[in-house]
Amino acid sequence: MDESALERYFDESIIHDSNFGLEEELELQGPPRRVLSSTPSTQRPSQPSGKTGASGKSGDDLDLSFLPDELSGQNEAGFTGVLTCSQSVPTKVPNHRVAAGGGADPAEDQPEDPEVSQDSGVALDCSAQVSTAAKQLQHTPASELNTLASPFCVMTPMTPMTPMTPVTEGSGIVPQLQNIVSTVTLGCPLDLKFIARQARNAEYNPKRFAAVIMRIREPRTTALIFSSGKMVCTGAKSEEESRLAARKYARVVQKLGFSARFLEFKIQNMVASCDVSFPIRLEGLVLTHQQFSSYEPELFPGLIYRMVKPRIVLLIFVSGKVVLTGAKERAEIYEAFENIYPILKGFRKQ
Amino acid sequence: MPRRNTRCPGCGSSNIVNDNLYCQAQQVCADCGTVVSEGSLAQDPYNGPEISYSRTTVVKKKPCVNLIQGMERVKEMSRLLRVRKEVEELSLTYYRQAYEHKTFLNVTLQRKEILGGCCVLASCRQQRWPITLNTVSYLLNDDPAVVGEVYHEMIKVLNIQAPAFSVTDVMEAHCQEYKINPGHVPDELAEESRVLTKRAVALVELAADSWIVTGRHPLPIMMAAVYLAWQSLKPNPQRLKMSLEKFCRLGKVQKIKVAGPRITEMKGMLCKLGKEIPWYKQVLTPDNVVSLVGDILQHRYSLLRRAMKAHELSLLEKCPVNSPPAETPSSEVTEDAGQTPATSSVNAENEAGDKDESPKSPSELSDPQAQGSTQNWGKRVLFAPPCVVNPKKKKTERPALHVSEDDHISDSEIDSYIRTPQEARDFAVMQTMLKEQNKV
Repeated sequence: MDESALERYFDESIIHDSNFGLEEELELQGPPRRVLSSTPSTQRPSQPSGKTGASGKSGDDLDLSFLPDELSGQNEAGFTGVLTCSQSVPTKVPNHRVAAGGGADPAEDQPEDPEVSQDSGVALDCSAQVSTAAKQLQHTPASELNTLASPFCVMTPMTPMTPMTPVTEGSGIVPQLQNIVSTVTLGCPLDLKFIARQARNAEYNPKRFAAVIMRIREPRTTALIFSSGKMVCTGAKSEEESRLAARKYARVVQKLGFSARFLEFKIQNMVASCDVSFPIRLEGLVLTHQQFSSYEPELFPGLIYRMVKPRIVLLIFVSGKVVLTGAKERAEIYEAFENIYPILKGFRKQ
Repeated sequence: MPRRNTRCPGCGSSNIVNDNLYCQAQQVCADCGTVVSEGSLAQDPYNGPEISYSRTTVVKKKPCVNLIQGMERVKEMSRLLRVRKEVEELSLTYYRQAYEHKTFLNVTLQRKEILGGCCVLASCRQQRWPITLNTVSYLLNDDPAVVGEVYHEMIKVLNIQAPAFSVTDVMEAHCQEYKINPGHVPDELAEESRVLTKRAVALVELAADSWIVTGRHPLPIMMAAVYLAWQSLKPNPQRLKMSLEKFCRLGKVQKIKVAGPRITEMKGMLCKLGKEIPWYKQVLTPDNVVSLVGDILQHRYSLLRRAMKAHELSLLEKCPVNSPPAETPSSEVTEDAGQTPATSSVNAENEAGDKDESPKSPSELSDPQAQGSTQNWGKRVLFAPPCVVNPKKKKTERPALHVSEDDHISDSEIDSYIRTPQEARDFAVMQTMLKEQNKV
């Protein structure tokens, strides 16, 4: 993207407030960084001073110490431009929240998920959301920042100067998780025949597959339980759902009389999908991104894009729908989508 | 002479003699003839010159028989496809390289043959000799999915890049398949291959611009384009009445079922463009649009621009009303031209516009994102991929659960998943009954 615009943008903001140096870290395009250390893509020598000054405080406090000061001023819209002006806000938001709390309520890890994940459309009337979000900021920064996760779309500039478009424009579209695959070790060998006899929701056909297939209603998931005590849980729509489901399966096995424990829960794969709402020229995309894409209309109607960083496979279809898979963390999916969105936009009109 | 006190295991006599008749000394029983013991060749000392293995015994590693056969098959396939010599040599090189790689060394012979076909495909692609993957799978007599899988593995192993072809590249080869040259069929039905190709390619390009081609199998589209091109080159009643099936029989090619819907889609697209022709005042239906195809293709760029402009204008008119009305020009594919009065008024406006084609590439989408749902943006633009315009019914999404991973799991819920003892007993009884039934 245009680095010169990035420089100008930040130079102006530095003139106005050195505190903004903190936010600039987070706004930079590229993979999200939880550690607020110097980023390679910054090019301003003035930057490090601001950064070190900011990171001189404890990592917890730096993000939101300036919040109330800014909000008492007038530029509400501009201010939320700061916080929303990053490419992968959802990963930042947990930082903010922890920071703001300074230890307040770490259990708020998940609320962002329902809100964010349900917002898959383009958030068009940003102004309304921006002002409400800004108002909320005046109250409890900790709990309200999760609502900010939604309007990370069209940005208003940070400073009341010439309305320059911020360089990192979020797409405003959030991929929705569709499936999570996780594994857990129950830690004891299991008698699959016994489980199949005693459990209502189990099916076991040793000739076909060497595991018991068990299903629960809430969260609606399926588990494969092996005789070694290992279990695979699929079908959940969020990480917490997957963990809860796995715990329920473990409880069922426990109730059946085995000394099952809940060890080494690990999410192995996450699948998400979204819609960019414009058609995509797949033939063009495969020509320009040959090393990453594979498009064989005779085999499969979509283009298979293997992104290197983060290592995610995207299935891109002519209708504009995108499926992302291969992630172990939600942040990877968001990052991958933010990486591909400008590329796709380039193939929108020709 | 009798040896020590050994006895012959066969007959028990102790009459054992040394037999030096053969090169190996043996002790033989003189009565029954059994060999009691043999000398060991290895124990005999060798006092001659040293004999080196690499100079006397070792053979040069010959290429394995399957490799030779595979290369012959590759050569055969290249000759069948009548490719250039460089393509054939390149595919042989690739085959040799890939064969030796561990991914392909221990696979079945069938897979090795598929590998040969994939090498031909890759070298054709690199040398820009247009063939499709389906052609290769026909040659190999195998499932295209399997061929595709082997192809991708091979590309990864050899670390090469083989850019795929677009439909227009393969068009010419495809057109030549149709046997409707002036020699083969009666004159009213005949077409020169070159003329036919040119028009069919133009049709395919137009279809690609209106999102009919992307993501679909190329072959049905090519067939539909050839059919429409043939019909429109001489739109006499005889040709217009001939169905796709009869046309395929005429040209001696196998009809593809999916070509029918593609023809419909193409005709719909042509209707949308044909509406913009200023001098055609009649109602355009998919039936009579074929006669206009020539004109449409000749002025396609300007017609596209006009259609876009008309569409934008009509959307702007609707915008303040802000409702999705039924008279959007960009509705379903086989939309009829009930809007000729509207468009002719628009055309009157654009009458001053130029009609000659400037090779400016047409812009596809007209509009800015309207406010409201992006649910079916396909209905709001002039041309959209058919999968967007006619979306499949979506399964009802279940509402997202708001769970925390530390939620308490109620005992009653877990108990609901476990059978009561009575139930378990009944189940066991039923299982045994079923087993007995099956045994009978």
